[in-house]
Amino acid sequence: MILIFAYIDPGAGSLIIQALIAAVVSVPFFFRNAIRSTLGRLRRKPADGASASFTPEVPGATPTDPE
Amino acid sequence: MTDRPAVRREPGSYRDPSGFVFRRDGVLYRQINAVFADDWAAFESSGLHAALVAAGVLVADHPVPIDLASEPGAVAVIRPDEVGFISHPFEWSFSQLKDAALLTLRAQAMATEHGMTLRDASAYNVQFHRARPILIDTLSFERTRTGEPWKPYRQFCEHFLAPLALMAHRDGRMGQLLRTWFDGIPLDLASELLPRRTRLSPGLAAHVHLHARAQRRHAGDTDASTRTAPKSVTMSDSRHKALLDHLRRTVEGLHLPAHGTQWADYADQTSYSAAGTASKEAIVQRMLEAVAAEGGRQAWDVGANTGRYSAIAAAAGFEVIALDGDWAAVERDYLKLRAAGETRIMPLLADVADPPPGIGWDNNERASLLQRANADVALSLALVHHLAIGRNVPLRMIAELHARLAPHVIIEWVPKEDPMVHHLLSAREDVFPGYTLEGFRAAFAADFEIVEEAPIEDSRRVLFRMRRRD
Repeated sequence: MILIFAYIDPGAGSLIIQALIAAVVSVPFFFRNAIRSTLGRLRRKPADGASASFTPEVPGATPTDPE
Repeated sequence: MTDRPAVRREPGSYRDPSGFVFRRDGVLYRQINAVFADDWAAFESSGLHAALVAAGVLVADHPVPIDLASEPGAVAVIRPDEVGFISHPFEWSFSQLKDAALLTLRAQAMATEHGMTLRDASAYNVQFHRARPILIDTLSFERTRTGEPWKPYRQFCEHFLAPLALMAHRDGRMGQLLRTWFDGIPLDLASELLPRRTRLSPGLAAHVHLHARAQRRHAGDTDASTRTAPKSVTMSDSRHKALLDHLRRTVEGLHLPAHGTQWADYADQTSYSAAGTASKEAIVQRMLEAVAAEGGRQAWDVGANTGRYSAIAAAAGFEVIALDGDWAAVERDYLKLRAAGETRIMPLLADVADPPPGIGWDNNERASLLQRANADVALSLALVHHLAIGRNVPLRMIAELHARLAPHVIIEWVPKEDPMVHHLLSAREDVFPGYTLEGFRAAFAADFEIVEEAPIEDSRRVLFRMRRRD
């Protein structure tokens, strides 16, 4: 059991539903990343033969980032 | 020490036991309390603090001696850089709120890379600094506890996702619900107000509609009464990342329907001839430069519309708050300025005829617009007839409002013969016998000294530069 330390109330229903939603969306998230890393590896190999490393997308890196 | 207390806690800084913001001799400080010492140390040692500041995600701060603390129990005191003007989320247009939401998610993404987590996703923790969103709550980060869900998930949905979804799918004015529910729009309300078709959008179906249902269903839960005790909910790191990614995609997928309102197209259809516009711009520029020469730095463009004159003020060396009561005008202005990389102008959704009041605890937690008046000059162009005739506000009261706004005023007189006033009076009785140039001068004379009076070419309008009698 994990005790939630928070000065804001995370809400019982919110905690439960977020775990459910996270479980569901983690499936396409996994496949998207897998496809992206495979494509990245295929693209990189013929170019410079550099070792392909999985670079996870930085979530939240949006065009609205302050420069 | 003087008789008056030189130390004052900021009225909105009371929720979090780990620290608070206060002013000492007018300088803004943040005290970090002993209860938060370990998380504060981790924030530093993980490199997150430096990374956030370097990325422009978090406002910079400077350590100061601990004896500057305002209350017992401090482990550190910092002096954060101040953002120029504090604005409230209901004063932001759709894209401003959306940028603030994405910034919050970006902060959380950076935090997880450093083994930490954002523990608070309040929209009030984001401010616009040089017209770009930035987090101002340096104490919002704590160490990740393995398996813990994202605690401010609900807060993020209520503060950001629900209002954005309502604006995008129902009406741009729905953002004003944040004025009533300033601590976030209840999700059951958002779910009810959103069109049915949003149940087919996976993001909104999950984070708003299902979320609201889950809240209702588990409202009375205790650990003993349910199989899924809320405190035993766990979530792996990868699921955590997937959730945050999904939230980001949901927010990014929200867009306003493309249509204008009466004001957004207003600047294109003014009553001015080309010569009149050129003359007005030249006079406004000259008057602004005169105020700048007297040391003016901050301007409020009241009724800024699409921001033509805000740009002139910025070019004259002012930081500008560009207020308008129309959300579409503010939205258009913000998008234009963001695309241009303009950092000196902050568009703000506010109607001077109904300025945002002080709200929250003691009516003081979030300051009213007039309490936040920090302008050296108020620019009131093509405004007086909207207030006097459109809203029946007596000229004397308009003068009093301006005296509260700024020590210098550049204001345009729009006479009854003007086509725009004709338009305002087209469907109603003229009950404004006092609406004359003489009446206008007399109304302002009590509070202001008229420094300059310049008729606009090819028009019957007159520009005034006035100085408050202090």
